Amino acid sequence: MTESQNRRPTLAELPQLRRRQVLAGFAGVGALAVAGMPFAASAAGGALRIAANANPSSLDPATGGAGSDHVFLYNFYDTLVDWDYATLAPLPGLATSWEFTDPQTLVFQLREGVTFHDGSPFDAEAVKFNLDRNRTANLSNIKKDVANIAEVIVDGPHQVTLKLSAPDTALPLILSDRAGMMIAPSSVGNDPETRADRAPIGTGPFSFVSWTDGEKVAGKANPDHWREGIPRVDTLDMHIIPDGATALRAVQSGQAEIAYQISERQKTLIEKMPNLQLAFGPTLYVYQMYLNSARGPLQDERVRKAMMLAIDRDAWVLATQAGVGEPAYMNLPKAHWAWSEKAAKQVTYDLDRAKAYMKEAGLEGGIDLDFRGYPDQASVQRAEVVLEQLGKIGVRGKFTNGPIAETSGLYFGTEKQGDVLLSAWTGRPDPSLTYALLYSESSYYNAGRVKPPAGYDQAIQDSRSTNDQAERAEALGRAQELAMGAAMNIPLSIRYEVDALSSKVEGYKPNLLGKPKFRDAGLT
Amino acid sequence: MLNQVQRRMLMRRVLQAIPVLILATFSVFMLLKMLPGDVAITLAGENATQERIEEIRTLYGLDRPLLVQYGDWVWGAVQGDLSKSLLSGEAVSDTLARVFPNTLFIVAYAILLAVLAGVPLGVLAASRAGGWADKLVMVFSSVGVALPNFWLAMIFVGAFALNRQWFPATGFTPASEDFGAAVWQATLPAVALAASGMAEVARQLRSSLVEVLESQHFRTLHAKGLSPRAILWKHGLRNVSVNLLTVISLLVNRTLAATVVVEVVFAIPGIGATIVDATLRRDFPVVQGVVLAMVVTVIVVNLIADMLYSVLDPRIAQR
Repeated sequence: MTESQNRRPTLAELPQLRRRQVLAGFAGVGALAVAGMPFAASAAGGALRIAANANPSSLDPATGGAGSDHVFLYNFYDTLVDWDYATLAPLPGLATSWEFTDPQTLVFQLREGVTFHDGSPFDAEAVKFNLDRNRTANLSNIKKDVANIAEVIVDGPHQVTLKLSAPDTALPLILSDRAGMMIAPSSVGNDPETRADRAPIGTGPFSFVSWTDGEKVAGKANPDHWREGIPRVDTLDMHIIPDGATALRAVQSGQAEIAYQISERQKTLIEKMPNLQLAFGPTLYVYQMYLNSARGPLQDERVRKAMMLAIDRDAWVLATQAGVGEPAYMNLPKAHWAWSEKAAKQVTYDLDRAKAYMKEAGLEGGIDLDFRGYPDQASVQRAEVVLEQLGKIGVRGKFTNGPIAETSGLYFGTEKQGDVLLSAWTGRPDPSLTYALLYSESSYYNAGRVKPPAGYDQAIQDSRSTNDQAERAEALGRAQELAMGAAMNIPLSIRYEVDALSSKVEGYKPNLLGKPKFRDAGLT
Repeated sequence: MLNQVQRRMLMRRVLQAIPVLILATFSVFMLLKMLPGDVAITLAGENATQERIEEIRTLYGLDRPLLVQYGDWVWGAVQGDLSKSLLSGEAVSDTLARVFPNTLFIVAYAILLAVLAGVPLGVLAASRAGGWADKLVMVFSSVGVALPNFWLAMIFVGAFALNRQWFPATGFTPASEDFGAAVWQATLPAVALAASGMAEVARQLRSSLVEVLESQHFRTLHAKGLSPRAILWKHGLRNVSVNLLTVISLLVNRTLAATVVVEVVFAIPGIGATIVDATLRRDFPVVQGVVLAMVVTVIVVNLIADMLYSVLDPRIAQR
């Protein structure tokens, strides 16, 4: 592996409260990991039942579209590249190593002796099939992720070379996400246009058993998995329970062993329950307001900046997350290696400056905006807090709420409905992908398709042209600074992972991506 | 079996059910279409072009006039084809076969509990009308009618699933797979659903029994020398059985509707949870299928009640 070592956030750099929070979180993780070690080699077993919060959109990594799918997909598929749970630094997965032989050539060495659940071999041909399918097939939803791959060349049974159309050092981490999940070519009859939505066959720790819509996705242990002693249970049942409080009750009363992404408000309750363990830590999930800068008054940068400065993020975290979380000053949490102090400085709470911007724009009388959001109770509460805070600078409006997929479709798609979408960004393993997807001119998530400030695209390109972590962080900081300087979106807060585990669970760790993996979870 | 009068009544009721079915499904269909939103945008996913959205509208027939879409659905339904879920592709009839028995099981369990507890309480109150037992039963049943069942469900979960783990807080095993497990898992939701039903049965039974027991011909029975017990159980209950049947059939229909919330609280895969999810996602073939199943159930329950009326009181069939 030639990726340089990621810079881990040192605890001394963190403010007082966060330091304690992180210590609490990672001490728990550490204790779990240590407690789990002796069991890793011992005979595993039992049925692990998970309370999952959404029905998957698809179990084919190339066709699905929901950020909540990964938690299912990780069970059935391995990725070419893996990551460190605490820092998201790249680690070997199905690829044992990789190297940029020149800025536009990436060579992967593949793990030998790995087979798919249907017995077919995992090799360079399978990798080529998957990467070509992801970047060219009509059904692929992730073409943009791998747009820089120009050609995939099979060098030998266990080596592939990716020829890139532009330098892209983000690719290894991109291949730790959907694009790096390898499905068995035989499972779709070697036809890239055949969907594997309901029959996922990969090399992952669990093989697929069944999927009953809105009810359950079931898997059983893959005894031939290449990781020693993984998985540690015999079966995995993911019961779909959309209501977080119900999911927590399922763990409390013994119908499930793990419930993930529980509301921050329930953290205290989990800590108090004698038969529950808490798994807790920061994630890349950012609550934010998407702005359509091509519509109405939001075309004026001063108005967007005024809105950015009108948000009291500490109060927001207290009101909407019961104080469990951190204010977001950019699209990354403070613990992340690419967090930039300079970019964050532009995102403060300053009502006087906000009002001054409104006055300068000639809008002291206030404006009315068309807000979009979701109908669940927590989203409605967030909407109320936003309206209350923005009301102080005369920004008024009404929320129109609808289901997530549809509301997003109407806002980002061709219809372009709404000025502001109060939603979130679920994060991507490599931050350059986050920045490219959020603010590039042609990107879907840039609702107005507006041009980012001069130098933005160059900053992204720079971050992908070097392998040095510090240089990458500097380039990404520049990109974030430009995006925040123009108030292209308004970040609000970082969500913290809050998971409830039964006292029988050991070995499970949350991760910074905020999308849990269950391969390490065992039962005592 | 059925005599000619009863058969004629059955035919009449079945014919009357047809406009009810059409009206119910048509209004639900129109209500769904009036909701803001477009399932084609959900189906098209991220990065979809306008052409793709149009293509999906055409593919699923969503671009046709509403009446044509509805007519198409009715034509399929008449032939036994309830269409497929727009989002998962599962045949709606398969979804119903999977989730409806779970709901019916819980509803039947709840009605059984409501009757088993409500009838003795009503009889007790009526036989001691004005006494302390009567007052106690009336207070309890007033409270029972007033309490929302989803709130009761939460209280039961807290007390009997979380504090004392006697029953599970979530989940359900179909009765066809494991009857014992189904009974165990359905107990808390059934009790929560039964509470108001029990109160209703007790109150209605008491008031109609008190009225009957005070009537002149019951005085004659007393004068004839019959024991109070024989008067109450043999004559009294028989006289109020038609009222009781009406209460129970209304209760079945109301309990069926109440599962919408209770199933979500207990994470039970039944029609209540299914219709909530399908409505939120604008998956209208599923909503239509569930509504159809619910309407048919209500009609069948009413029909059975009508048939039983004519058994209990033959004068009814001749009206």
